[in-house]
Amino acid sequence: MSLIYSSGNLLRVEDMSLFHDAPTGRRTLTVATSLQLERGGSLAIVGESGSGKSLTAKAIAGLLPPGVRLSGSIRLEGEELTGLAERDWQRIRGRRISMLLQDPFTMMNPVMRCGAHIEEMLRDQPEFRSRSARRAEVARRLAEVGINDASVADRLPFQLSGGMCQRVALAAALARDPEILIADEPSTALDVTTQAEIMRLLNRAQAERGMALILITHDLRLAFSACERVCVFYAGQMIEVGAAPALAAAPFHPYTTGLLLSEPPASRRVSTLVAIPGRVPPADAVENECPFSDRCRWVVDAKCRTTRPPLVERTPARFTACVRQPEIQGELDALRTAALEAANEPEPVTPENGALVHVAGLCKSFGGKRPMHALKGVSLSVGRGECLGLVGESGSGKTTLGRCLVGLETPTSGQIVIEGIPSADFEALARNERARVRQTIQMIFQDPYATLNPKHSVGRALEESLRMSQRTGRTQDHVRTLLSEVGLTEAYAGRYPSELSGGERQRVAIARSLAVDPAVLVCDEPVSALDVSVQAQVLNLFKSLMASRELSLLFITHDLAVVRQIADRICVIYLGEIVEEGPCQQVLNDPQHPYTRRLISAIPAPAH
Amino acid sequence: MTAIGAVPAVKRRRRGFRLPIPVALACLVMAVVTACAIFGSALALKDPYEQRLDVAVSSPSAEFPAGTDTLGRDILSRVIYGASNALIGPLVIAAGAFAMATVLGLLAGYLGGWVDTIIMRWVDFMFGLPSTLITIVVVGVVGGGYWTAVFVLLVLFVAPDTRIVRSAVLEQRPRTYIDAARTLGISRTRIIFIHILPNILPIVLAYVAIDFAFALVNLAGLSFLGLGVEPGTPDWGRMLSENRNLIASNPPGILLPAAMIILTAVSMNLIGDWVFERFTK
Repeated sequence: MSLIYSSGNLLRVEDMSLFHDAPTGRRTLTVATSLQLERGGSLAIVGESGSGKSLTAKAIAGLLPPGVRLSGSIRLEGEELTGLAERDWQRIRGRRISMLLQDPFTMMNPVMRCGAHIEEMLRDQPEFRSRSARRAEVARRLAEVGINDASVADRLPFQLSGGMCQRVALAAALARDPEILIADEPSTALDVTTQAEIMRLLNRAQAERGMALILITHDLRLAFSACERVCVFYAGQMIEVGAAPALAAAPFHPYTTGLLLSEPPASRRVSTLVAIPGRVPPADAVENECPFSDRCRWVVDAKCRTTRPPLVERTPARFTACVRQPEIQGELDALRTAALEAANEPEPVTPENGALVHVAGLCKSFGGKRPMHALKGVSLSVGRGECLGLVGESGSGKTTLGRCLVGLETPTSGQIVIEGIPSADFEALARNERARVRQTIQMIFQDPYATLNPKHSVGRALEESLRMSQRTGRTQDHVRTLLSEVGLTEAYAGRYPSELSGGERQRVAIARSLAVDPAVLVCDEPVSALDVSVQAQVLNLFKSLMASRELSLLFITHDLAVVRQIADRICVIYLGEIVEEGPCQQVLNDPQHPYTRRLISAIPAPAH
Repeated sequence: MTAIGAVPAVKRRRRGFRLPIPVALACLVMAVVTACAIFGSALALKDPYEQRLDVAVSSPSAEFPAGTDTLGRDILSRVIYGASNALIGPLVIAAGAFAMATVLGLLAGYLGGWVDTIIMRWVDFMFGLPSTLITIVVVGVVGGGYWTAVFVLLVLFVAPDTRIVRSAVLEQRPRTYIDAARTLGISRTRIIFIHILPNILPIVLAYVAIDFAFALVNLAGLSFLGLGVEPGTPDWGRMLSENRNLIASNPPGILLPAAMIILTAVSMNLIGDWVFERFTK
């Protein structure tokens, strides 16, 4: 396969495949990756979890985990990197290829001061022999990433915010002036407002130094705004490559189209999000066919399932692995146009039938001598059949509020009234009242991987929560109804959480909450841990449940595009206080509080 | 809303039930020891108590495969009979101590507060005691033989085991699935025994095996000192002390029981490790 864009490439990956050698046999992780990167260029590798994008990045930096083997070739200016000894890698890592990881807190050594992380990289250069020279250089490097406070160098990582840590990590990664920087989801773990800053910083550093950038991300919007060229991975295979603007305008692969469509638009509300059905298959299951064929509506067995479709150049510098692209391009474009023209769903009118959940002056502090005030007098109410969006960044107290509502935390002061029952102090409630509150309000948690007991089957989990409700009739029938209500078949009752994907686990968690027939669901970031294509499925599920069950939602999220799709009203929470409240569209279109404005301006430029 | 049941589920990777060779050997050793403990009377060719002074201290021969001791008793038969002491006592200690420790650890770890304080202060107190000394003194003063020794060791083993269980519970407690169960209104008893217990069971099982090995060595040590079992009983530890002076004249007389103690203890450790690794991944 030839993928030559320009001569004199800095980095060339050719026909690279990754395997995992387990005692039970060889498992394919990625197949036949070919990439090119020129000096100063930028390339985004986009894919959902399990696509192999991070492994590809690790292979390029020579950091493959034990047991993973590589075939093919990686060349850095003609020098073959595969099979290099660790000693030789030390000559390349940091100096020529540097890496920035997702979580700044785990990337930095917790007992080393921030400045020491950068000094470490300078130590072996003759001009930085002396301590004072190194300190001066550290200050200069920190200033380059926007940290002008010299005291940061003497602080430990945990004393800094996530955004600050990521800046220090970036300064350390750039300290030896690498030719290539690989950034693996550098902004994903950060708050929306800091995300934008880190990306700006990254792009600026790239431009000023003429450094090449490989950005690994799951976010197409981010990839389009930050890189010249985009390469889409799916189940271990490259399925589309092209220049960012061209790819954004008209993707050639049904998967890319689907991914773009399933991202909730930040600027308007649509009645149903376009979701890709199904889930990402493991790479070794689709090694010899089009990996997307199971989820693709244009699949033709004879063409798509006989061999692995190679990347083919359709128009200059545009590659796609879809064999049917020329035939279906018209339909793909039509889909995009239809989605773009989809009417802005009118603001639903919330019937005024009194508040189901009423919160007044809620305060919660943690810790004894020097308390941390998570909530400082929050008041809000959720009406019957209403979806209230609670928007805030990490540390805003939004999760604490949700946990107070379901009795997992006891507020320091303030009132919570749920269906007329004052339930601020859960322990003080009479037994039957507590049971009534439990059946009124339920919670959906953020992490789909931890929300189910790993030792209980899906059926057992549902049966247990059914026992908490006063339903009559056969449990088996109820389990089946619940599963079908969340879009799963009966066969799921016998499975264990470890056999389910993130989206499926979240569906089971929703079914488990619905078993007690609640009137209100507190959803704490229920889709933020899910892949974009699955996120749309689950959001649609919430919407349909609200309609069919007259369910009220308290939807806690940091994602404004998501909240616009689902909330009727929103409250913006900042440092434990509600700073703005109003109808969803009104607040998002015409924010009043400066903090809300900052949140909105931090959304990456729309891809649509 | 699309039903997603149509997509074939990714099968959980069932790793083949292939035993690593050391674990397979350990299982074999334990199978032999168990067989000896259960069918000892049928397997042993001779009466382990029969004294034949005419053949005292004879080297291995066709009649006495491992020779005889100073009283002319058949070493091999005594080792085979000794298996039951080597198996039952440690089993009672390990299982009993962990049954108690599991309940205490679950309560202390999940409930916290004053329950935790009382249980853990008791554990600290037990840690403060010199356990070997206590065992020797109690068994030596009270007497009562093998089962007194088993009982004293059982009590002493509860405290460290409680600590292990409690720390495993503390690891599970902050997990979201516990919060989810609490939100549903599931009772504390159910959360503790139906939700948390299955998740900490691999650790418990692994430590039961390790405790078994410790108990075996401890009991053998006591009988070596002449505490616990009656003189003359076929017991591996006891044989070690009785046959000490055979080291030159009939080495198998002392080497065989010693090897059995070591083999059994190491085998249980290996099996425990393997159980833990297999069920936690």
